[in-house]
Amino acid sequence: MDGCFDSLVRQFWDQTVNGLTAGAIYAMIALGYTMVYGVLQLINFAHSEVFMVSTVVSLHALKEWFGVTGAIHGATLIFVFLGVLLAACLSSGVTALTIERFAYRPLRRRGAPRLSFLISAIGASLAIQYLFALMDGRHALLFWTLPNLQGPAPRQVPRFVQTEQLFSLFGTTVNNKHVLVVGVSLVMLFLLDRFVNVTRIGRGIRAVAQDPEAASMMGVNIDRVVVTTFFIGGVMAGAAGLLFLVFLGGSSHWQIGFILGIKAFSAAVLGGIGNIRGAMLGGILLGLAEKYGGSCFGTEWETAISFVVLVLVLLIKPSGLLGERVRT
Amino acid sequence: MSESGPRAATDARDDRPAVRPPPRRRRRPWTRWQRKAEEVRLAATTGVKAALGRAFAPVGTARTGAARWIEPRRRFVIPTAAFLTIAIAAILPLLKEWFDLPGWMLRATSGGSLSRVALFTLFALGLNVVVGFAGLLDLGYVAFWAIGAYTAAILTGARDFTRTLRTTEGVIPQPEWEMWMWLILFAALGVAVFAGIVLGSPTLRLRGDYLAIVTLGFGEIIRVTANNVGFTLGPQGISNIPHPAIQVGPVDLEWKTFLDNKYYWLLLSFVVLWIIAISLLDRSRVGRAWVAIREDEVAAAAMGVPVVRMKIAAFVIGACTAGVGGVIYAEQINTVSPGTFTIFQSILILSAVVIGGMGSTAGSIVGAIIVVLLPEIFREFESYRFFVFGLALIVVMIFRPQGLIPSRRRKAELKGAMVEEQLFDAAGGEPL
Repeated sequence: MDGCFDSLVRQFWDQTVNGLTAGAIYAMIALGYTMVYGVLQLINFAHSEVFMVSTVVSLHALKEWFGVTGAIHGATLIFVFLGVLLAACLSSGVTALTIERFAYRPLRRRGAPRLSFLISAIGASLAIQYLFALMDGRHALLFWTLPNLQGPAPRQVPRFVQTEQLFSLFGTTVNNKHVLVVGVSLVMLFLLDRFVNVTRIGRGIRAVAQDPEAASMMGVNIDRVVVTTFFIGGVMAGAAGLLFLVFLGGSSHWQIGFILGIKAFSAAVLGGIGNIRGAMLGGILLGLAEKYGGSCFGTEWETAISFVVLVLVLLIKPSGLLGERVRT
Repeated sequence: MSESGPRAATDARDDRPAVRPPPRRRRRPWTRWQRKAEEVRLAATTGVKAALGRAFAPVGTARTGAARWIEPRRRFVIPTAAFLTIAIAAILPLLKEWFDLPGWMLRATSGGSLSRVALFTLFALGLNVVVGFAGLLDLGYVAFWAIGAYTAAILTGARDFTRTLRTTEGVIPQPEWEMWMWLILFAALGVAVFAGIVLGSPTLRLRGDYLAIVTLGFGEIIRVTANNVGFTLGPQGISNIPHPAIQVGPVDLEWKTFLDNKYYWLLLSFVVLWIIAISLLDRSRVGRAWVAIREDEVAAAAMGVPVVRMKIAAFVIGACTAGVGGVIYAEQINTVSPGTFTIFQSILILSAVVIGGMGSTAGSIVGAIIVVLLPEIFREFESYRFFVFGLALIVVMIFRPQGLIPSRRRKAELKGAMVEEQLFDAAGGEPL
């Protein structure tokens, strides 16, 4: 570990670019955690599976619907990318709604204690994971043959975006993938921020986060707000799934969600859970911390770094950097 | 430890000659670190003391009212039932030699799956203290299992043996299990207690669901560390851990293979021991403190319950249970590798506790049996079982949140929570 500082200094700008790219993806997943926490005060443990579904569906859409096998360019690329993005967002949005409908809403109706929510979320997470592990086209559920989507083995993504060096920054070349990931996530984060702060339903979300009882007395339909929140969280995770698949991962796997989910949750806590801008900031910072730490201690420790960050934040400043928005 | 304060000025015995008691040495106020050390020491010893105190408490106190009715039941029915249950559990592995069993029962009563049930029962009992009694959601319980297993693997000398085996050629003599190796159980107990205090004392001050995530993180950190550090031989893990043996005078016991029924009996006796200890603990002062913390932490603190100390005590008891289980696991399987100690195992143990009923000892046992044996019996549906298992968790949470065999106290709490929360639902403007 003696070369730790040296290697960090040598790779500083490389790791900054990588960290920003990874962080943008973490930020988008973290939004799902933080928004649900703001509205319902519970950790949506199954959110990681929403992300996993999006990676699987985008791979399927890419290969089967658009028939992409090699590199594509220009207008075709944009068309395919937007099409897959739409499919990914919709599928993971629907997954999030399903989780809300079957794992959370019955418990909310009964006013169950918070522990039950967590356990039923763990159940939903397990069920979705193993359902996708079953989807290799040979298994059936009751009388319905499961589609050939994922299966137990990871599936490779065709390299359909060619890496092109765009410009150089402090001696580090930035390629089109970095720009695309950061660009897409910035656009989505900006849209989300405007949605929550300007629109009527966004005002409802903020109202419920502050005080659900008072909000419902003022005529906010709590159920609709909750459903919207889950759907938006799902859409963000869906976009993150496609970006991850194409630019970081390279293969889809049914267990991919867990580790990304933990990282994103750490990011949400780092920024202050329940705080939307906090999640964005936390995601970026966590991505940077992870890449810097990885270049320092070795990439195999990257996962542990996010846990250490999480533990440290909770011990030193549990309300996060920008302060949590939690009703008292 | 109660020290009377300074005498009041208006003492009734003012007229006495002023023979002052010798001035008492005032203890210097403790430094912060001394206070912390005392806190930790108390946390580590509170549980043990309470259990011992319960065990040797005077029995013949006055019994009135309902107690007169309950006593005969406690004296006769419960011990008899317990004895019968233990006897039946103990002869389970012999059934297949006496009778012709159908296939699913053969699988369920093979030495491997029975000792796995016993192991998970032990874990579920330990986790039940943390989750059920004290109400702390621990999602990284597998960390303590790993700590126990790795302690055994290192202290038996299996690690050094494995290392030489992988680096040198030729035949190397297998390490022999010495009698003093039983001390490893205590060593692992100590290590697990230490780990419990180290992990627990910073984190137990956190809010409930944060605690869940942090413990989850710790579980993963332990696994990643074991995977990457040379000290534990990395992802390949440590193999060739010797089986235990007892050879004293006429007694000559040797555990030979991992299917050996003696492992099941060993684990079963630990389970019985733990059940006794835990039920004593539950009825002690410590147990009542846990209930108070679980139901309302602020109120408990206001009534003088040392909240953090009691939480650490629960955490430590859970940890040392897993540590002991980990040692026996390592010796039975002969191999420890980081791949075993995944988050999935933590969730499995947690769901045993939840399905059985949080806070109920009988529930933990039933839960562990269900969690281990059902997948074993339905091996034909192997790829479906965890999918169904996930759905079952949701269904149990919706329709029977108190678990299959609920503890009476916990059930009452859950009902109370429902009444309270209905206000919120009424405000939601939706028919229930």
